[in-house]
Amino acid sequence: MGDSLARAQAGDREAFTQLVEGHRGAVFRFARHLTADTASAEDVLQETFITALQRLAEYRGEGSFKGWLFAIARTKAWQQRRLRRGEPETWEPVETLETLARDAGFGSPLNPEELASRVEQRALLEAALARLPLEEREAVVLRDVEGLSGEESAAALNLALPAMKSRLHRGRLHLVAALRKEAGHDE
Amino acid sequence: MTNEHAVRLACADVLAMLSDYLDGELAPERRAAVEAHLATCDHCTNFGGEFGAVVTALRRTLGTTSDVSPDTGERLTQALRTK
Repeated sequence: MGDSLARAQAGDREAFTQLVEGHRGAVFRFARHLTADTASAEDVLQETFITALQRLAEYRGEGSFKGWLFAIARTKAWQQRRLRRGEPETWEPVETLETLARDAGFGSPLNPEELASRVEQRALLEAALARLPLEEREAVVLRDVEGLSGEESAAALNLALPAMKSRLHRGRLHLVAALRKEAGHDE
Repeated sequence: MTNEHAVRLACADVLAMLSDYLDGELAPERRAAVEAHLATCDHCTNFGGEFGAVVTALRRTLGTTSDVSPDTGERLTQALRTK
């Protein structure tokens, strides 16, 4: 990947195509989780790589290339969301971690079979993710779905590491609660 | 942090540190304190297990497939070709 990057920065379009092919799946997944809309995610995908192509010389290797791409994609996704109207938030904010944990089932555990079945259902996990506040969802997707490090995720979100960790933790707690709601365990 | 402190860790403290614990980002003393609490608290052990199972399933279930259809890939290629 490093060789392709250097060649792409030197103007080699074939090398840039290799970069696109290596990252387009992850960028599209990220965009779809943020926009919750396939057509918007496709727009984000195109705009991200067009911007990356135009600004490739600006990437200096500070942080991962993947993180740099996600930072661009995030900006494009927020722009897409602003273009759309009438999109109410589906989540009622709660104040404390204890409240979040109670909503997520603290003190009322699932049996292991039910838990195992639930976390393997892609549609259920996607629906639960879509319930998260956007600021928490993007942290969870970068860190837990795409596997970026804490530092990479914080950089892509333009946050200090403690702020990213706070969003990630609340997002994970929200996700566990949302998964229960999606599966009809708690209403 | 002493062991005496570790056994006094409250559930709320463990909840606050659960992500850092799962991500391996706690200092050794704090990690030991969490583990000491988990050894005596079924609520936190059960909840931590469910929390961890959900988090680790995300990458396995959602992070390994490409959602880019051939048509979407082709449109991206065309869009870049004109730039």
